[in-house]
Amino acid sequence: MSRATERVYLVVVGLLGGLLGGLLGVGGGIVMVPLLVIVAGVSQHEAHATSLAAIIPIAIAGAARFGFSGELDVTAAVFLVVGSLVGAPLGARMMAGISEGTLKILFGVLSAAIGGVLLWS
Amino acid sequence: MELSLGLVLVVVLVGFAVGYFSALFGVGGGVIMVPFMVLVVGLTQHTAEGTSLLVIIPTAIIGVSVHLRKGFVSPAKGLLIGAGGVVGALLGASLALRIEEDSLTKTFALFVIVFGARTAFQGWKLRRAAS
Repeated sequence: MSRATERVYLVVVGLLGGLLGGLLGVGGGIVMVPLLVIVAGVSQHEAHATSLAAIIPIAIAGAARFGFSGELDVTAAVFLVVGSLVGAPLGARMMAGISEGTLKILFGVLSAAIGGVLLWS
Repeated sequence: MELSLGLVLVVVLVGFAVGYFSALFGVGGGVIMVPFMVLVVGLTQHTAEGTSLLVIIPTAIIGVSVHLRKGFVSPAKGLLIGAGGVVGALLGASLALRIEEDSLTKTFALFVIVFGARTAFQGWKLRRAAS
């Protein structure tokens, strides 16, 4: 992939992730990570970390759009964040400590499970 | 959200799991939060989606700050993806507020299963080669 093609491809990955994120209220990482690894050839660790970085603007834009329509529950958000701010650094350190192969297996299993739940629900 | 001590504790615990999985897997964690907020907390689908995105903002910032220190983030790639992501998110959220998303969810589910299986298979091959 040439550099220009890669740039366009990355923007398209973001578009797809953002579309899904805004549509379902999720981050979109479950789509962006495999697109980065399989097509752009990024390592599993770099894909997870970079996907999470791209999720920040996606979540800001999505939350702003839902907030504009009054679809936010700040109380629930505050209590979820109290827990998530403790969990996130632990999860990030966990990622740094596992091998590429193991991380791929874990992500693949999680991804297939999420797909199964979504298909079935 | 109706406040009770029990529910608050459950919400904080779910938040912890969301933060952990989010930073470990590079995802937002909305797949856990949205159904939880609809089924347990009792929010509507749209409010749950908006609230999920709101929670993802600080959670992802903290996770990324640790990944950055360890050198895993590619800022140039992240910026390009994020630029496309903002446009996608605004389109997606506007669409979500207007339509039933069921058929799209099923398409997305199939995609995720196929790519998940492929990723796990590659991981298995890598581990086998390493041992």
